[in-house]
Amino acid sequence: MAAPAIIHVTIFAVYPILRGAGFSLFRMNLMQPWLHRFVGLRNYTDALSDPAIRHSLAVTLMFTASCVAMELALGLCLALLLWTDNRFNRVATILMLVPITVTPIVVGLIFRALLDPSFGLIGYWLTWAHLAPPQGLLGDTHTALMTMMAVDVWEWAPLAALILLAGLKSLPADSLDAAAIDGAGPVAKLGRIILPMMLPSIFLVLVLRVTDVFRTYDIVFAATGGGPGDSTNLLMLDAVKQGLQFFDIGYGSAISILMTLAIAILAGVIILALRGLDRRYNTL
Amino acid sequence: MSRRLSLLAQRTAIVLALGLFLAPVLWLIMTAYEPSRAIQSTPPLLWFKPSFANFASIASNFDLSRLTLSSVVLSAGSTLLSLCFGIPCGYALARTRSRSAVIIAYALLAIRGVPTVVTLIPFYLFMQRLGLLGTWWAVILMNATLSTAFVTWMMFSAFQAVPPEIEAAATLDGCTSFGAFRRVALPLVQTSVIAAALLCMMFAWNDFLNPAFLTRAETRPLSVALLTAFGGNTTSGWGNLGAMAHLSTLPIIAVALLLNRYLVSGLTRGIH
Amino acid sequence: MKRRSLLAAGLGGAAALGWPRPGRSQSKPFDGMVLHLASVNDQYSPGLKALSARFKQETGITVLVDILGYGELQTKITTDYVGHTKGYDLATTDNVWAPQFAEAGYTVPLNDWMKRDAEAMKLDDIYPVLFTALGNYKGKQVAFPLAGYANVLAYRKDLYATARLQPPQTMQDLVANAYKLTDKSRNQYGWVANGQKGAACAQDWMQYLAEIGGVLVAKDQPTLDAPLNIQSLQTYKDLFQKAAPPGAVNWDWDGREASFRSGLAANMQTWSVGALGYFDPAQSKVTDSAALMVTPTAAGMKPRYGIGGWGIAINADIEDQRKQAAWTYIKWITSPEIHIALNQLNACSFLRRSELQDASLNRKYPFLPVIDESFTHGDADFRPRVPQYPEIQDILGTAVNSALVGAMTPAAALAAAQTQALRYF
Repeated sequence: MAAPAIIHVTIFAVYPILRGAGFSLFRMNLMQPWLHRFVGLRNYTDALSDPAIRHSLAVTLMFTASCVAMELALGLCLALLLWTDNRFNRVATILMLVPITVTPIVVGLIFRALLDPSFGLIGYWLTWAHLAPPQGLLGDTHTALMTMMAVDVWEWAPLAALILLAGLKSLPADSLDAAAIDGAGPVAKLGRIILPMMLPSIFLVLVLRVTDVFRTYDIVFAATGGGPGDSTNLLMLDAVKQGLQFFDIGYGSAISILMTLAIAILAGVIILALRGLDRRYNTL
Repeated sequence: MSRRLSLLAQRTAIVLALGLFLAPVLWLIMTAYEPSRAIQSTPPLLWFKPSFANFASIASNFDLSRLTLSSVVLSAGSTLLSLCFGIPCGYALARTRSRSAVIIAYALLAIRGVPTVVTLIPFYLFMQRLGLLGTWWAVILMNATLSTAFVTWMMFSAFQAVPPEIEAAATLDGCTSFGAFRRVALPLVQTSVIAAALLCMMFAWNDFLNPAFLTRAETRPLSVALLTAFGGNTTSGWGNLGAMAHLSTLPIIAVALLLNRYLVSGLTRGIH
Repeated sequence: MKRRSLLAAGLGGAAALGWPRPGRSQSKPFDGMVLHLASVNDQYSPGLKALSARFKQETGITVLVDILGYGELQTKITTDYVGHTKGYDLATTDNVWAPQFAEAGYTVPLNDWMKRDAEAMKLDDIYPVLFTALGNYKGKQVAFPLAGYANVLAYRKDLYATARLQPPQTMQDLVANAYKLTDKSRNQYGWVANGQKGAACAQDWMQYLAEIGGVLVAKDQPTLDAPLNIQSLQTYKDLFQKAAPPGAVNWDWDGREASFRSGLAANMQTWSVGALGYFDPAQSKVTDSAALMVTPTAAGMKPRYGIGGWGIAINADIEDQRKQAAWTYIKWITSPEIHIALNQLNACSFLRRSELQDASLNRKYPFLPVIDESFTHGDADFRPRVPQYPEIQDILGTAVNSALVGAMTPAAALAAAQTQALRYF
């Protein structure tokens, strides 16, 4: 039954990826086709030894860890709030998804406008009340990255909430009833019964969000362009710049493949960690 | 009494959260009714004399019904395709005991994690060779690859929560194994299916880079037209963007609200 | 055999020159053809779209205008050229892409056709600097000028009058005025420019630098950290900190233009293409007090008015007949009558002397003499026209922004930029 999916993905994803990965072994700038030649791993060593890329990697890791943690926490709170099955909660669940329907590049534009210290409905008053730096939350190297994290959480915490909610709603009733009979308090019930049983959903949120947050581009590109300075310069901005603006597709692909490896490692760590947790709870 | 109080507290929290999630979008919607001199002023205004000029402007500059149709086709197509591929795949992976299941699931995820920079140009040339460039199919196929991984994972974890014994009982009663999947397992994970469908639909609906790159004027969706409506470097089109955002948010919310009655609990009603 | 192929080649050549062929009406040799035009979403693109119907009526050629954002356009047409996929027959082309497209041979060089049709096209009516700026690289005309923009100074007559100041004659005047016109207590600022990291701040600073005589590339080598450049970045940074509205360090064109239209900023150097908005009451609060003038330069320097804008280019991969049809479109859209019609549709993009003299356009655009002066003494090279331009712009985009927000000193930022730039030369 898995065959159709595997065939489809092989044709329409694996094949282009392999071609793209092949580019990364070449010196290949689409603007200078006469200079194309095989260079082996040169693009990779160049990327790994570039201090700007290393800085972007650090920013990206920090951004990913913070966003995913906040989205998981907020998503869990929302899912628990919306757990009870009634009309109000169902409508609320749908309305909560509205941020996901907005194209990320427009999300970036919206928050740049709202947070602007001269014109922004939020930014003007924050700066007026000295709650934000004079150049605004996005114009200061100390606050821009945190602000972009908040924007990402705004758009994607609802996704985490929906996945966790679907997980909550498929928990078997008998174990919850048993807990109720045991007279376990709400906190104990959450920690000892619900969360362990929710591990698959939590895992799903973690893994999906890590793969996506690590590749964040649009919101940052539209809101700060990676600035101020290089404080919000995520790796994906470098990859797009090299690959799709300078058309150095060899170097751009190499950065992207390195990103994929990083994502795979992060996902692997999460899988191992949660497996360990799962085993501990299963033996209990 | 305390139960009422806790319900009140819960609802207040939900309403507050909704406010946070909706306010920025409402602001965007609101700009549609403002003349542009009111949108960017200091100090920023909340009141203004509403006008409908922005709607007239986008109606004359864009083929709105065509744009909406494209968006609907692209998101419905990608969603259907991803569900058709992803649900059986997730089920198969959840039911097999072979180690390769984990590897396949993991590989699907890794593929989803490859930045578009790598795939965009090869995919573009591939679509050209198939004669699909500029058609809706190009975007649907591209989105379906990404969303299939997503659906597979979501269904993988959902089916894992369904005890295989229930299906075994059904097979003993004379169901084929496919019948057991369709009549027993699938209904039990209904919430997850609806959630996965909703998210797929939204991913496709808000996708920008792929359709911008793979479509032409006549197959372009709203997500791309939004940015065109915003205008170039020197002209600010907040009003046009806001007007266009009506089309790009309201239909998807309507569809989501229609689906919401299926978003019920699977095995249990939540307790609180 | 040989003779026959020669003959065939001769016939093909004749067809390519647009000779009438049997079976097609003489006036509409390309009747029924469909051309795809990729256009950036700028002020002129709705006009291009609207005029397609008229072109179809006159020639039978359908031109489908596909309007794209800057980044999408660049990526899409480059992929189209590289993959030889013939997705677009025509594309609007930013002046800074021309060197790369010329070197790679992606677009059709138009020199021969221009020579042939010079008279019919009234080429001497088009400002010579626009040919250089909008698509010429080392003599090859790889794009035909479509939309010329002049860098101009927009300023507020009322604020200058109240402060008893004269409009600036030199850059030193402009800087001094900027400080004098800043009164934070009244929410009034004397200066604004793009501060956002990337193309936005790089382009505005390059313009400023050119006006005080700075040089970024000399003898095919980058000179980003020349002493004059460092000094100018210091002045620029001070202006941002002391005379620009809050938030300017994160503004691109949208925020910068809004700050002038909303009355926050008293001076702004800008592309002429957005100027129509200052006089439109729906967009602007300064309709009565806004004025344009040519950009000042440093005392004692020859005027150096920055020229930018868009050319239109033909994809080199398409069949000869389509190239002919595409050239027919270029001739048509840039003809005096049609280009005036385009400007009646708010394009604010100019090419021809006759256009700037046109009475109806002068009523619509109260600043055409300024553009005439800028085009007459225009400078196509204030942004280095070298194939490495995209990289230089990006490097400067980071360096200038880092200096503006105080993350690095101007000297350190430009020194780092120079090191990076050397990699591409």
